[in-house]
Amino acid sequence: MSADDAHARVRRSTATFAERSAYKKVWGSLAEDSEMASLAVAGHTDEATMELTARGFIDMLRATVGLGPTDVVLEIGCGIGRVGRPLSRECLQWFGADISGAMLEHAAARLRGVPNVRLVELATVGLQEFPADAFDLVYCTIVFMHLFEWDRYRYVEEAYRVLRPGGRCYFDNYPLDSEHGWNVFTEATRYPPDRRPAHLSMASTREELGIYLAKAGFEAARVHDLPNGLIAATGRKPG
Amino acid sequence: MNPSPEDPGLRIAALQAELDEVKRREAAFRARMVNEFLDRGERNTYLHVLREEKAALARREQEASADLELLTRKLEAEGDRAAALEAELSRAKSSWAWRLGAPMRALERILGADPPQRTPAGPANPPAEGGVFTYYLHTSPFRIYREPTFTLRGWAWPQDGRAVTAVRINLDGRLFVGRHGLEEPEVIARYGPQPANPRPGFEVPFETPPGRHLLSLEAQIDSSEWRSIMTTSIWCESKRP
Repeated sequence: MSADDAHARVRRSTATFAERSAYKKVWGSLAEDSEMASLAVAGHTDEATMELTARGFIDMLRATVGLGPTDVVLEIGCGIGRVGRPLSRECLQWFGADISGAMLEHAAARLRGVPNVRLVELATVGLQEFPADAFDLVYCTIVFMHLFEWDRYRYVEEAYRVLRPGGRCYFDNYPLDSEHGWNVFTEATRYPPDRRPAHLSMASTREELGIYLAKAGFEAARVHDLPNGLIAATGRKPG
Repeated sequence: MNPSPEDPGLRIAALQAELDEVKRREAAFRARMVNEFLDRGERNTYLHVLREEKAALARREQEASADLELLTRKLEAEGDRAAALEAELSRAKSSWAWRLGAPMRALERILGADPPQRTPAGPANPPAEGGVFTYYLHTSPFRIYREPTFTLRGWAWPQDGRAVTAVRINLDGRLFVGRHGLEEPEVIARYGPQPANPRPGFEVPFETPPGRHLLSLEAQIDSSEWRSIMTTSIWCESKRP
């Protein structure tokens, strides 16, 4: 199966925008095989590029919220475990949560033999599978653009619950007010309203992310402009 | 030389190391707590699934009991009908007309002049002859059929090691061709490789018109002869409203 073929199948994805909230179904259908899954979550299928971008993300994580060898870390929407594999070498334990069981099957294959990782399939939007006050760091990258706003906030609220007092959070998206963000937005306007795919990317604004963190109770909330063109909201649970 | 206990730099380093160790143990405790929480959740999910399965089995048992009762009633009705026919036959045999014809029937028997038997026209496709198969049916055919169609699923291979090249159902002579060559990895793992039938699974959808029918599940061997895997009578009911 070629990457071109996987591209075509992602383009042909039959889930429509009306089904966007059916995340389990939508992302399950985008994970038919490992190439299609890689393409859907990372935009490419090349393993070396994936490792490189994951390392770049970890550097950003370190620069914005810090990362230490004793951190218990949770990734929301871990997909195929792109970030989890390199990050697991830099923390005590890495937990990867995703709503798509099919994506997690690919993640399990990629992370086979890595001792300090655990994958968890989420039943629905939220982190109800996890206990409160448990994690040092909760992050969510390249996920918010595929979620409705209510669900974005739900994950921010849930991150607050599962973080230990003093724990840090990180959420990113592409900003509407950047050139890249505006291009993505205008490209999406070309779809006829009834043909918009369910996984269509939707931007955030800095205010939106800032409000989520403040309303959820985080302190020291900041919105960072990242070198890759994304914006990231970070904060700390009081305590 | 041992460092002086009063050396502030060394004391700070020692305290820092101790603090780091405490932090590491506290984090390890939290990681274990998350894992145990997840394990408990998985166990609860498994228990929930088991409870659901138990409830489904109870429903199946109730349905099977209802079917058994229905079949018993049908059997009783057939028994009553047979008894009524026997009574009618015995009344006929004790009648004056029957006794009057007795010498004539005796003479016919002696002369061998049996009345001509009418051979009923057989179905266009009589069931194939039986073969010896190792097989299993995932969807049991032993049921009362209430839907207009049913799909028989299972796996089979002939015990003489030849290849199954097609499967079908012969229902009173009507043929329903199915799909074969479906993966059954657990069966192969259990029974060992089947060189002629590496994918022994099959599924055959067929119609179930109301009434009693003779069902023969048949396999074509080596693209030539058809052999029956199993044969049974089935009873199809109209769908309940």
